[in-house]
Amino acid sequence: MRLSVTARIALLSIGLALVSNLVLVGFVWKRTDAVVIGTVRRETIEQSDAMRSIFHVGGLPAVVEAIGHARAAGDTSLLIAVLDRHGARIAGTIPGGLDLPLTPSLFRIADLDSHRATGDIGYTLRPIGHYWLLTGRRLDLVEAERRAIEGALVVAVLLSLVLGIGAGLVLARYVGIRLNRIAAVIEAAGEGDLSRRVPVAPARRDAFDRLANQLNLMLGKLERLMVELRLVTDSLAHDLRSPLTRLRTKTEQAVLIADPATREAALGGLLAETDLVMRMLTMLIEISRSESVSRDRFILVEPAELVEEIAELYEPVAEEAGFVFTVAIDASAPAMLLHRELLSQAITNLIDNALKHASNGGRLTLRLVASPHEIAIQVEDRGIGIAEGDRAQALKRFGRLDAARTTPGAGLGMALIEAVARLHNGRFELADNAPGLIARIVLPA
Amino acid sequence: MSRKILIVEDDSSTAAYLAKGLSEAGYSVESARDGRDGLFLASEGIFDLVIADRMLPGLDGLSMVSAIRAAGIATPVLVLSALAAVDDRVDGLKAGADDYLCKPFSFAELSARIEALVRRSDRAATEPTKTRLAVGDLEIDLLARHVTRAGRSIPLGAREFNLLEFLARHAGQVVTRTMMLEKIWNYHFDPGSNVVDVHIGRLRRKLEDGFPSPILHTVRGAGYRLAADPA
Repeated sequence: MRLSVTARIALLSIGLALVSNLVLVGFVWKRTDAVVIGTVRRETIEQSDAMRSIFHVGGLPAVVEAIGHARAAGDTSLLIAVLDRHGARIAGTIPGGLDLPLTPSLFRIADLDSHRATGDIGYTLRPIGHYWLLTGRRLDLVEAERRAIEGALVVAVLLSLVLGIGAGLVLARYVGIRLNRIAAVIEAAGEGDLSRRVPVAPARRDAFDRLANQLNLMLGKLERLMVELRLVTDSLAHDLRSPLTRLRTKTEQAVLIADPATREAALGGLLAETDLVMRMLTMLIEISRSESVSRDRFILVEPAELVEEIAELYEPVAEEAGFVFTVAIDASAPAMLLHRELLSQAITNLIDNALKHASNGGRLTLRLVASPHEIAIQVEDRGIGIAEGDRAQALKRFGRLDAARTTPGAGLGMALIEAVARLHNGRFELADNAPGLIARIVLPA
Repeated sequence: MSRKILIVEDDSSTAAYLAKGLSEAGYSVESARDGRDGLFLASEGIFDLVIADRMLPGLDGLSMVSAIRAAGIATPVLVLSALAAVDDRVDGLKAGADDYLCKPFSFAELSARIEALVRRSDRAATEPTKTRLAVGDLEIDLLARHVTRAGRSIPLGAREFNLLEFLARHAGQVVTRTMMLEKIWNYHFDPGSNVVDVHIGRLRRKLEDGFPSPILHTVRGAGYRLAADPA
């Protein structure tokens, strides 16, 4: 049989209440017994000592007389007697049918279970002269207390059952309600509705609230990712459609061209289109990979050397494109742990963007700036720049500023730069070069 | 005797396409469908080159390459993979591969790389230390880092010299743009713009201006070739 969580919580709390009550009452029972028996033992031995002292002074007659006095006091549970060497009673009283082993004992409990009327006795048996002295007490009192406690035990068990059921039901209902609220949100998320959140009381901060908060944060992130994924998929489909359509049309045309030279030229165009698609896909992979690269890929790099190398690669390219290319490197930049390849790629993307978008030429500067806490690698152009309101859009994956997507490129370059900056715990910023754009990768030193 | 190439690829259409292309290019080709068979065949040491996919059943490509190297077999290995990120390439080369090419690839790129690898291992066996390279009337002194053409000295920058040396070491073969980016600049990514073309253009002007015949040829859709004859 499978029980619901609430039923299990209720059962557990009932069980726990029961066990704790049993342990508590059992402890009291045991302790009371020990205290009462201890008292009887002390009294019995004291009585025995007193009688022996009397025997030493006055002999047997004095003891018989003392027994008479003691019995006259009216304490019916008290036992005191003198026995001869065979165990026959000479003076005092003992319960009928009592058959004790005639060996000296300081304190013993005789089990008189077969004589229910009299009950157990605790006694001391010691020799006096040629006789035995028996002192003791009936343990009815102890038994009575024991029975009272046992009665209390039964009541406690019954009470704990009732209270346990009550507490268990209340607790189970409380836990159940709160868990169900969380479960309902998770179930909705499982069915595709990521917009629901678990209600959280602002003042209260218990474990359920923490769980709910974490779940809400996770759902929020998941929802954002889903939106982004949908956007990326849509954009990817859109951006792939154009080059693939061109590819298809050009292939169709190329098939029909009879002249070998013209056909070859058309095929060259096809290759260029294919390469564009491939570059787009590679860039996408790099972006998603750079968001989860492990730190063991990082190596110690001199940023000045890295920037110098890239400058050397791009200087002729920039000059051929009609730019005045300058490099300004702050040599005080310290060696840092960097992902050399990805950072190089990000910087070449910066330059590529500037070459593409500031196509009117002018001054193009690659600059490495070092400050005590961070370094910045920036490319400054004199193009038309990006208006402040458009900058966030420019950093998005597939985020392109011409909605019709007429300029070449997939709108992935900046997204990669941003991903690489984030990978290094840095940031990517766009600023105004008045006129033109400053695109800057800032990394913590 | 034709060169023997082992293709380890589980995708049958890719394997067939490769085998067809390479056979037409004059290589003798054998194929294996999974990593264990590939390792077994490669261990015979009779191949001039192994082309291995990365994601293989049985034993993955990189483990296979590591095992080949651990067995002391020096046959050049080219890894062919759809895992195209920078780190994937670095992993491949670290595992012992000599070259790494990403899918989808162009056949021109693949043949240029194969030719370079096969030639290099030949040369390593026959002429280990060469201090001078000559292509037609072009002479390169690798020790003095000095270049002359038809006896006339051509001053080159350090990077230009490295570029020319790389082209000369593969004289007569096609060298692609990505091969140059990888070997000269150590960049395992595509910078997008025409950086290599610009550098080649500068080098070409220095090598050809004032000389009657061209020596650095553009191979359309593929790359460049340093050779005395245009073919």
